[in-house]
Amino acid sequence: MKLRRTRWYNSLSLRLLVLFWALLLVTASSGFLLAIWNTEQVRPQPLAAEINQILKPLLSDNSTFGSLQTGRLVTGDYRVVAKLASRGKQRLNIAPDLSERYTPLVLRMLDANSPQQMPISDRLLVGPYVLGGDRLLLARPLRTEELIDRREAESKQREARTTTLIIGSGFLALLLGWWLIRPIKRLIRATREVAQGSAEPKLGRLPKRSDEVGELARALVTTAVDLATSRDAQRRLLSDVSHELRSPLARMQVAMDLLEPEDGGSNVHWQQLTRDVHRLGTIIDRILSLSRLENGLVNMQSEAVDSGELVAKLISDLCYADPSCSDRLKQVGEQWPTLQSDPELVRLILENLVRNALHYTDGLITLSCDIDGERCQLLVRDRGPGVPDDKIEQLFEPFYRGDPARHHQAGVGLGLALSQRAAGVMKGSVSARNHPQGGLEVIVDLPLKCA
Amino acid sequence: MSKILLIDDDVELAGMLKEILTREGMTLTAVEDGEAGLDEALRGDYELILLDVMLPGIDGLQLLQRLRQQHRSTAVLMLTARGDDEDRVTGLELGADDYLAKPFYPKELVARVKALLRRSPNTSVTPEKLAYSGFDLDPTTAEVSCDQQSLILTPTEFDILRCLMQQPDQLVSKDQLSVAALGRKLAPFDRSLDVHISNIRKKLPSNPERIQTVRGRGYRLVEMP
Repeated sequence: MKLRRTRWYNSLSLRLLVLFWALLLVTASSGFLLAIWNTEQVRPQPLAAEINQILKPLLSDNSTFGSLQTGRLVTGDYRVVAKLASRGKQRLNIAPDLSERYTPLVLRMLDANSPQQMPISDRLLVGPYVLGGDRLLLARPLRTEELIDRREAESKQREARTTTLIIGSGFLALLLGWWLIRPIKRLIRATREVAQGSAEPKLGRLPKRSDEVGELARALVTTAVDLATSRDAQRRLLSDVSHELRSPLARMQVAMDLLEPEDGGSNVHWQQLTRDVHRLGTIIDRILSLSRLENGLVNMQSEAVDSGELVAKLISDLCYADPSCSDRLKQVGEQWPTLQSDPELVRLILENLVRNALHYTDGLITLSCDIDGERCQLLVRDRGPGVPDDKIEQLFEPFYRGDPARHHQAGVGLGLALSQRAAGVMKGSVSARNHPQGGLEVIVDLPLKCA
Repeated sequence: MSKILLIDDDVELAGMLKEILTREGMTLTAVEDGEAGLDEALRGDYELILLDVMLPGIDGLQLLQRLRQQHRSTAVLMLTARGDDEDRVTGLELGADDYLAKPFYPKELVARVKALLRRSPNTSVTPEKLAYSGFDLDPTTAEVSCDQQSLILTPTEFDILRCLMQQPDQLVSKDQLSVAALGRKLAPFDRSLDVHISNIRKKLPSNPERIQTVRGRGYRLVEMP
């Protein structure tokens, strides 16, 4: 895929900029809105009949109350709070104890057609009453129960609005977070896949995105392919070199045979040469097997394998080549499981392990097994000195060999690596530990049924 | 003097093999490429062909296929790359008698060659004619027929069938068959015998199950009802 650069108008930075800008705007305006909502007064209500009954008679006589001024007590605790005179110098007169922010409200009420009532902060406005062209607005302090009712209603309303806002904004934030995090999570998963060796990580439609996330996804796709290619090339090099070495090696073996001295090879140099040619052949064989296992070129068979029979056959084959083995190899236990597996791979693993044990130790070697639910463990234990705990992991690395000073005649150091890969093909594993009663124990863990 | 044809593009190896086989009293003719090899195989009367699978021109497997199409039953020993199981099985299915992985030990090559040469029709151990389960086998002329139809079998297939017919209706172990036909015991997981048996079955005009498989143990020739 061609690496397309992100255009500025598609870029995530621009999107985020716009987004955060919009967010800040929304936050600010919603705070503002909330403030306005919460301060907005209750609308004027129709006048309660009882209030009208008290005030109406008093305020119908033009002559008596024609000169009513603001601040005057009319009756009970009703005072005049605002007066709009029909003539005179100062036509509008509002009581000074009424806050200025109520002025528009007062004007609106003065202008109404019929008397209304309306609670403001701590009092109840009533009006307008028209007296000889003048318009009057009266007020009385709110009664305690009215005050409490009002406060409660107000706080309830405020709570409801605040809750709505919090929940709404939280939901929006969740959506936004999901929108931002989802592609990143997908990228994380894909990167893990690449690390595990996948050349085609699952990215869905991410590479098609036109922003930076899309660019990152496309870069990851390219990287995965590059990584896979170079990994393949590395493996192929080893395998190709080994392939190429085979023809000269074949010739060397034939030449060695032609050179064989008359007396059957008592010449030490000739013997050394023969051994080394043989060893080269083994190394090449092993490398090729390893690379075939690693590249998944092994077509795994799946058939019933009687592990007990396989082990018995293995022991008899090894002892056929070297009769001295028969005293050292012992098959323990009766209940050997029948695996659904690849007999050739199982044998390859066990043969490598047993040969290693024969090679590196002198004592008895036992082969036993353990069944554990759906899996079974085949155990090869020697009676040698074991392996230092910090070296156990290294045992499985290709070309690792025990103490080279002591075992200069040892194998090529590929047996355990080979066994582990072979077990991996069958969805099993090979591990080693020092047995509590001495000696190294190698455990081959295999599924009873490997699909 | 047994005449052997080697078809291998490794000229230096061919030279040395010639020396070794001459020492064993055989004559080796070496050919480097596939086309020339096929011509030579069809023209000369060779007892055995050593055939490398990787060849310039036509490869060993194609060569083998064409050779068998011409109804030539000359024994063929394939030289395969080690671990190339697929080539190996394909080769056997196409009618190769045995295979040997490269690089090989010359001693092993000589042993395999001798095993394949050992059974020319003249040196047969049981010269009497055999008949069972519809088969008629004449060891002296190396002719086989099944239900009166003549069969063209490779020497290995012939030996396997003869071995089965010598013990009619009895279980013959895989090792025994392998020793009789290939001159060696089977290596672990060696499938060559199974492939040879399947090749024989494919050549039968009817009732291939008259060669019965005894799972994991061997084969048995039974009389069909």
